[in-house]
Amino acid sequence: MKRFSKLALPYIVWAALMLVLPMVLIALYSVMEQGNSIISFSFTLDHYIKFFTDPDFLLILWRSIAIAVKTTLICLILGYPAAYFISKCSEKTQNVLILCITLPMWINMLVRTYAWIGILSEGGILQRILGFFGLGDMELLYTEGSVLLGMVYNFLPFMILQVHTSLTKMDHSLLEASADLGADPVQTFRRVTLPLSLPGVINGITLVFLPAVSSFFIPKLLGGGQYFLIGNMIENQFITVGEWNFGSAISMIIAVIMMLLMMAVRRIEIHNQGGKGARA
Amino acid sequence: MKKSRRPFGKILMFLMIAFFYLPIIYMVVFSFNESKSLTSFTGFSLRWYEHMLESSDMMTALYTTFSVAILATLISTFVGTIAAIGLSSSRKIIRNIMEQVDNLPMMNPEIVTAIGFMLLFITFQVEKGYVTMLLAHIAFCIPYVILSVMPKIRALDPNLADAAMDLGATPWKALTKVIVPQITPGIVSGALIAFTMSVDDFIISYFVTGQGVKNLSIVVYTMSKRVNPSINAVSTLVVVIITIVLLIVNIAPLIAAKKSARSELGKRKRFVPAAAGCLAVIIVVLAVYQGGKGTGDRPFEGQTLHIYNWGEYTGENIIPDFEEETGAKVVMENFDSNEQMYIKVANGEPYDILVPSDYMIQRLIEEDYLQKLDKSKLDCMDKLSDAVKGLPYDPNNDYSVPYFWGTVGIVYDKTKVDIEDLEREGFNIFLDEKYKGDVYLYDSERDSFMMALKALGYSMNTENEDELQEAYGWLVQCVETMDTEIVTDEIIDNMAQGRKALGLIYSGDATYVMAENENMGYYMPETGTNLWSDAMVIPKNAQNPDLAHAFINFASDYDGAYDNSSYVGYTSANEEVMAVLSGEGGDYEGINAYIPRTDNENDEVFVYNEDTKKIISDLWSRVKIAASNAD
Repeated sequence: MKRFSKLALPYIVWAALMLVLPMVLIALYSVMEQGNSIISFSFTLDHYIKFFTDPDFLLILWRSIAIAVKTTLICLILGYPAAYFISKCSEKTQNVLILCITLPMWINMLVRTYAWIGILSEGGILQRILGFFGLGDMELLYTEGSVLLGMVYNFLPFMILQVHTSLTKMDHSLLEASADLGADPVQTFRRVTLPLSLPGVINGITLVFLPAVSSFFIPKLLGGGQYFLIGNMIENQFITVGEWNFGSAISMIIAVIMMLLMMAVRRIEIHNQGGKGARA
Repeated sequence: MKKSRRPFGKILMFLMIAFFYLPIIYMVVFSFNESKSLTSFTGFSLRWYEHMLESSDMMTALYTTFSVAILATLISTFVGTIAAIGLSSSRKIIRNIMEQVDNLPMMNPEIVTAIGFMLLFITFQVEKGYVTMLLAHIAFCIPYVILSVMPKIRALDPNLADAAMDLGATPWKALTKVIVPQITPGIVSGALIAFTMSVDDFIISYFVTGQGVKNLSIVVYTMSKRVNPSINAVSTLVVVIITIVLLIVNIAPLIAAKKSARSELGKRKRFVPAAAGCLAVIIVVLAVYQGGKGTGDRPFEGQTLHIYNWGEYTGENIIPDFEEETGAKVVMENFDSNEQMYIKVANGEPYDILVPSDYMIQRLIEEDYLQKLDKSKLDCMDKLSDAVKGLPYDPNNDYSVPYFWGTVGIVYDKTKVDIEDLEREGFNIFLDEKYKGDVYLYDSERDSFMMALKALGYSMNTENEDELQEAYGWLVQCVETMDTEIVTDEIIDNMAQGRKALGLIYSGDATYVMAENENMGYYMPETGTNLWSDAMVIPKNAQNPDLAHAFINFASDYDGAYDNSSYVGYTSANEEVMAVLSGEGGDYEGINAYIPRTDNENDEVFVYNEDTKKIISDLWSRVKIAASNAD
């Protein structure tokens, strides 16, 4: 097989140009004085200082992380049982259910989110239904709840699919062995199924948390003008304010925070595998 | 013990699927709605489908979405597979490094990846457009292909290729006849992921596109605030295409199974007809779309006009009519704020016509971005209202020809708001707790500060920082005590439905609201307001100034201006159109918002000042943060 290694060369060049270089550029722009070009580079940390000394910006960062954590938790609480249920069905039913879950993902994410505006808005269908229960006055759109709903709606399928994959990959004889050895279903689930599905859970968390933390169209569409997250801040810097260097600095900050969080999550995974799975 | 139990699981599954499909069903239903409303279904109609077919914007977006996705999928699958094969036989250290690199687009927040691409194209001065979008899509798709092909290669017996070659196969044959067939499932699922990612992508496309190239997501995002149910029609079309493809996919294997008993591989092979079916349907749609273009002997045959205009700011027929008459093709890009437009222009994107507002025109003139109009080519100036000509930002109309104009005022529900309160308080009604929770603010820093400054009795063009700080305090008090909602163009539909009592609004939007709902009124405070105008200008780097002049004439002429104004609801700069539309039997008869106030000396036109703009920008984002903390 060695002779095929040359085939990787073009891709390595491409990856350096299209994947690595852009990140380098963000880093460069973020420490450059506003209005400078790469050629007349002059170093400054002002953009980072500006971000970290302003309580308003920090609040936005905190809020973005908080809502992403909430989204991830809800997706996990809803997604895990759903994936578990699917994995217990016959293969044919499984295929149908998985298809049902993937199908909406083929329809544009923005369009689906946009449809929620009509459903949630004042005088819309949901408010009318709630009206029957005497809750007609509840504000639905442009609240934190609507942003959260939009995120769960968009990202829940990722969680279900990931967990489902890891559950179906599992060796079923392990479950039988566990039952034969006298474990009740709850014990089997806790001691066997759950640890073995952990990689799927971790992948699911990554796939939900990452887009949730930096999403900017969901807060913009469902949160209204007053719901500002870190993604909106970055968009704003690039599209309407035009301070690219500050925008790059915010991007760097969020990228680094994400990297650290992801590393922490991976560590849990490795720790768990070393502790339980491997020795069993 | 397995079946027919688990009621909990079944209920959960049912609810979840209902949750996933509710918005899709909603969208399909409302694509047949008669009215513009997104909340009440008034009757069955196909008008949004007609609108969609006529709207070159949407059909082009559909074309862009699928052509980019297909190309990106094909290229990234090919490159990704080869790279995966190559990498798997490379040295371990290279493999590990590349694994990390591949993780970049997957482990980074998408917006960071998007900005990286944007900076890359800008730094190397690649003109943003279709090609950059395609490149970016290929770049973020390849890692997914590698990720799904790699495990299949690892699972292969490493001696397989050697064995083939020992038996006399060339390396190429070993690759195509032995290795690739073994990893086909991985390749197919990689391609499928790539296609899904590409079709659905918004963030990356949004940052790397240019020259009016838009995919569906970008169209939805840029028009989202002005309700345009055609998007529901387009989405329904997409749903139909996908359903057809899935039907083909599910029926084809049945037929194939009848022909051959070998059903072992059949399951995986489903994807091949899937891809083929998808391609076929799309090609047919595109062929139909591309086929509908006529030819003839017209003055600008084959030329292209690039217009950069506000979203939903042109009539339904003006663009096709203009194309029909001149033979030119119009590419229209939309912005939703002057600032967004400015950045693109300042970045050197070539447009032939822009439609900015007064203060922005002043800025563009000051910074030397505009060219003087050739008045010998313009025959429209006499048709325009005097009140909107010769304004301070361009005293002799050397650079600009007015398009729409109007005021900013308060839209109010006559059944909920006492007109005496309005007359007594003016803009201060936004601090009157009698209307708490019943108020919309408009998400525009200029107009919000205009309102606050006018309420306090200052000039809206003040440069005095104390006055600006006072206005900031006024706005913070407003958002903290009044439980406001800060909206943009949603206000139009929402006020037409009578959802709140009060809102800050542009006169043109108020016109639409009042035409839809007779309980609504429009009030301009005596302390003065903003008298604004948007005008057509030609940037210095325009590629086709002659055609631009032709369009300016066309849009200012009676037919074009009538189409624009009657569809959009904003006041036409064409005097005759304004008279007809507001006169007896006109669309806007009896609607005061349609006729701009010209006799109040407190009314002002916006003046651009870089320093104040920065202060106001900063303060306004803080007002918004205060508003989100008040929730």
